[in-house]
Amino acid sequence: MDLSPFETDNSVSCRLASQIPDVCRTEDCCLGIDEAGRGPVLGPMVYGICFCPVSKKQELKESKVADSKTLTEAERENLFQKLDEAKSYIGWALHIISPNTISTSMLQRSKYNLNALSHDSAIDLVQFALDSGVQLKEVFVDTVGPADKYEEKLSKRFPGIEVTVRPKADSLFPIVSAASICAKVARDHVVKGWNFAEDLGEVDSAYGSGYPSDPKTKAWLLKCLDPVFGYPQFVRFSWSTAQTLMDSKGVTVHWDDDDEDGEKAAQRHNNRSMLAYFSASAGGNDQNPTRQTHRFFTERRLKSLDTL
Amino acid sequence: MATKKKRTPNVQNDSWVVMAADSVIDTQKHDSDPAFVRLRNPATDAASLYMLSSGDVQLFEVKAFEEDFHSWFVGQTVQRDGRLLFVTPMDPLYLIIPYLIKSGKECKFQPMDQVLMDEEFPACSRLLSCTGSLASLHHIAEEKEVEKLKFHRYSQEKTMNWLKKKVERTVIVLKARNISVGEGVKSTTYIRVKSESDYHEEDYLRHAHGMISEYLSEELSKALLKHLQLPELTSPKVTEPPSKKRKLSELPVEAGEDYTKFNSSDFARKPPKKMTAAQKSLAKVDKSGMKSMSSFFSPKVKAEKN
Repeated sequence: MDLSPFETDNSVSCRLASQIPDVCRTEDCCLGIDEAGRGPVLGPMVYGICFCPVSKKQELKESKVADSKTLTEAERENLFQKLDEAKSYIGWALHIISPNTISTSMLQRSKYNLNALSHDSAIDLVQFALDSGVQLKEVFVDTVGPADKYEEKLSKRFPGIEVTVRPKADSLFPIVSAASICAKVARDHVVKGWNFAEDLGEVDSAYGSGYPSDPKTKAWLLKCLDPVFGYPQFVRFSWSTAQTLMDSKGVTVHWDDDDEDGEKAAQRHNNRSMLAYFSASAGGNDQNPTRQTHRFFTERRLKSLDTL
Repeated sequence: MATKKKRTPNVQNDSWVVMAADSVIDTQKHDSDPAFVRLRNPATDAASLYMLSSGDVQLFEVKAFEEDFHSWFVGQTVQRDGRLLFVTPMDPLYLIIPYLIKSGKECKFQPMDQVLMDEEFPACSRLLSCTGSLASLHHIAEEKEVEKLKFHRYSQEKTMNWLKKKVERTVIVLKARNISVGEGVKSTTYIRVKSESDYHEEDYLRHAHGMISEYLSEELSKALLKHLQLPELTSPKVTEPPSKKRKLSELPVEAGEDYTKFNSSDFARKPPKKMTAAQKSLAKVDKSGMKSMSSFFSPKVKAEKN
C-alpha cells in the first residue's frame, strides 16, 4: 500500500484509492464501509470502503476475509495483498483522518464530534465511488451511533441505494470485512512509520498500540509532553487521556470559550456576582468611579498604565 | 468535561511588546537613554506611566492594548501578558496645566521651576526641558519677563482657547480617519440606518471633547464643554430596575409597557434566555447521532419472534 500521499503531510486528511475495476462500472455493485482506529489516543482514524460486483460476492466469501479484529497482523497483510491482487473485480478507497483533524474538529468553537466526522467520511467515500462510476446498488455499514438513525440518514442521502446498517457488520458481510481489513492495514502502516513533523529530539517511538489503556502508550504520553505546546500532532488532543495529562502537567492555557464562573466571570460579563453584595467594600480599587474612560479608548481596549 | 482552570496571578515580567515612534529611541544627540517615568495624570490625579526621550526632549504617553486571553510568542519564548504597549507623542502642556492651576490660585507670577514641583513625582520638573514646553507656555499662561527671567501665571481664558483649538484639530482627524462618533453606535442592538456621513458636527465636537478630556481634570473638562457651547448631556445612569410595587397616584393609569412595538415588522427577537454554566457547556456539545438519555428508559422494543 502506497501511503506517500498522506505521509507528505500528515496534519491533514487524505484519500487513497485503488484503480476502479471496469466491471464495477457496468455491473451492479455492493459496497462495504468500516473504520479502524476509533478509540486510540494516537494516530489517525481510517475509513475504508471496498466494492465489488454483486455477482462476485461468493468469490469474496471464499477468499476468507473476516473481521479484521479476529485476524493477526500477518493474516491481515496477507488478505490485503489478496484483495489488492483481485483488482479485476475488487476496488477500495480509504479516507485517512489525521489525528490533527480529529483534535481540531472536536475542539473547535462549534463542536464537531467523532460520530459526525465518521458519518461524513463514510458519505464522502460512497460519493467518491459514485463519482467514479461505480454502479452501486447495495451498501453495508458497520454502525456508528444508533443503527436505525444512521441507516435513515444514509438512505436519504443516497436514494436508490439499498443501505444496510448493522452493528458488527464486519463479521456479517464479507464486503464489510474486506473494507475493515483495508482500513486496519492502512492505519497500522501509518502508525508504525509516523513522520513526526515536530523535532522531538531523542523521544523513542515505543508508543505501543496507541490505545489509552496501553501502559506503553501512557508512558510515552507522559514522556513527550511539552509544558507549553502539549503534544505532537500525532496525539489526539481531544481525548480525555491527553487532556487530563496536559491539565495536570502542562501550563494552564485559557481560551475565551472556556467556561468559568464566579467573581472573575461576572466581572468579565460586566455584571455583579452575588458574592459582591456580601464583601466588605465594593469598588475600592477604582479611584474615580464616576469618571469613565472615553469610549474611543475603551472601544480600542486601550488603558493607561501606572506601572510596567 | 468542563474542568475548572485555576487562574494563576499575572507575574511581573521583564520584557514588553512595544510599538513606538522612531524618535523615542533616537539617542544620537544625547547621552541619556529614553526612560519610563511616573508622572501625575492630569485626569485622575494619580500616577500614570509616561516616557521621556533621551535628553528629555520629547514626552510620550504610554497606553496598553489589553484584552483577555492573549499571549505573545516572542522568538523562542512565550510571554504571558498579551499586552501591546503604545508609546505615542504627547503635548507636555497637558501635564503642566494642573501645576499651573494650583500655583495660579495664589494669583502671582512665578518662575516655572517653582511651579513644577511635586514631592510625589519629582520627575515632573523634567517636563520643562521638552522642546516647546517653555516656548508654548503662552498658550495657557500669562508671561512676564523681568531681567531675562520669565514668570508665568495660569490663564483660564487662554487655556480654553487653546483647548478649543485642540478639539477642532481632533475633529479634523476624526473626520479624516472616518471614525464613528455618533451616539447611536453606543447601543449594540441598534441597527444604524444613517450612513457615517450623516453625523452632525456636534457629534464630532462631543467625541473630540471626550477624547481631550482624557487629559484634563473634570473641572476643566466641564469648563471646556461650556466654552465649546455644547449642552451637557444628562446621560441615563445605570438605571435601577423599576420597583415592583405600584405607586399610588391619582393620575389615570397608563400602560407601563408598549406592546404595540411587537406588531411592527422590525421587532427583533429577544436573545434567548440565559443558561447556567452547566447548561451552556452541555449546549456546546455536538450531540448529533447520539442516543438521547431518555431512550434508555423507554420500554424496550420487543425482539421479533422467530
